Amino acid sequence: MAAGEKKFGNALGYQLFYLFIKVGGRRCAYALLNCVCGFYVVFRPQVRRSCESYLSHRFGQAVGFTKLWQQYKLVLSFGRVMVDRAIVATLGAEQIKVALVGREQLLQVRDQGRGVILLLSHVGCWQLAMSAMGALNEPLYMLMHGHASSFESSNYQDAASTTCPYRIINPHGYLGGSLEMLGVLKDRGILSIMGDRVPEQEKNTATVALLGGDVALPISPYHLASATGAPIVVLTSRKIGASTYEMVVADVIEVPVGLGRKAVNFTPYVQRYAATLDGYCQDNPYQFFNFYDMWQ
Amino acid sequence: MAKVEEIKEQLKVILIKDLNLEDITPEEIGDEEPLFGDGLGLDSLDAVEMAVIVQKHFAVEIKDMEEGRPALQSVQALANFIVDKQGKA
Repeated sequence: MAAGEKKFGNALGYQLFYLFIKVGGRRCAYALLNCVCGFYVVFRPQVRRSCESYLSHRFGQAVGFTKLWQQYKLVLSFGRVMVDRAIVATLGAEQIKVALVGREQLLQVRDQGRGVILLLSHVGCWQLAMSAMGALNEPLYMLMHGHASSFESSNYQDAASTTCPYRIINPHGYLGGSLEMLGVLKDRGILSIMGDRVPEQEKNTATVALLGGDVALPISPYHLASATGAPIVVLTSRKIGASTYEMVVADVIEVPVGLGRKAVNFTPYVQRYAATLDGYCQDNPYQFFNFYDMWQ
Repeated sequence: MAKVEEIKEQLKVILIKDLNLEDITPEEIGDEEPLFGDGLGLDSLDAVEMAVIVQKHFAVEIKDMEEGRPALQSVQALANFIVDKQGKA
C-alpha cells in the first residue's frame, strides 16, 4: 500500500511538472522545482542523507546552513536535469542544445575500425547529451538497467516524433549481457557503458581513489576493451546554460590486449578513469549524481 | 569423437590456468557440469574471457550471444562447438 501511495505521489508529481512545462515553459517548471527541492531537503532526512556521502568527500564536512545549502544545490541541480528531460519529452528535442567537445578525436577513434566503448558516468545529463552521439552516424548499443531503460523508452514514446537513439542491452540478461556486448564490439560497433556504478552482485571491481577516498568501480569495460582491442572513450556531460549541455571527450584509454582475468591488471586503467571523474567533480561540483555511499 | 575427448581435456586445463580457478583440478570438472551459476561458478567476465580463450587456443570465434549461449553451457558443449566450427573451416 505504501509503495502504491508512493508511486501515485510520484506520478502526480510528474504530471504537475509536465503541466507546468506545457503552460509556462522552463521558467515556470524551474520555479516549481525550487519549492519542491526546498521542501524535500528541509523535511525529508533521507534526501539529505543521500547527498551526504558525495558532498562530504567533495567539500569536506560542512555544518549547519552551509551543509543544507550544499544539499539543496545538489538536489536542485539534479531536479533541473530531470525537468530538462521532461521538456525534451514534452516540447521536443530542439528545446535543448547539446555541443560536442572533441568531435574530431571521437571520429578519429571510430574510424580506426576497432569498435568503440563509450564510458559514461552519472554526471550532468548523459541521456540528453547522448543526442550528440549522432555525430558517430552508427547504431549505439547501451548497457542499461530495466528501470532506466523503461524511463527512457516512455520519454521517447511521449515525444511522438522522436525515436530512441540507442539500442538497449539489459545487464540482468544472460550473463549480464556480456556476450551481447562482446558481439557488438566484434562487429566493430559502438557500445556505451556506465563506469561509475557497480551493478548488483558484481564482484569484478577494482578499488581506486576518488575525491580522497577509496571506491570500487567495475572492471568490465576495461576487460571488454582488452578482450576485443576496442579503445575506451571517456565522455562527460554537463549543463552549461539554461537550455544547453556539453558532451566532452574527456579521455581516450587504450587497454592492452590480453590482460587476462585478474582485476588487479585493470586497476591502472580504472584509476585513470577515476582521475577524470575527480577532475570533473572539481570543475562541476553540483553535477555528480550518485546519491549513495560509493565510499563504503 | 576422439577429437572431442582431446579438446575437453585441453579445455579443462586451459580454463583452470587462464581463469585462475583455484583449488580445483581438471579431473574435478565434470563434462556436463554447468560452467556458470551453481556449477563451476563462473561469471559474466569469465564468459568474455572464455571467448578469448577459445579464439586464442582453438582459432574458433564465438561471435555473439546466439552462438555463445549454447556453446558455453558446459565443457562438453564447448568442445562440440569447437569441433563443429573447426570442421566447417
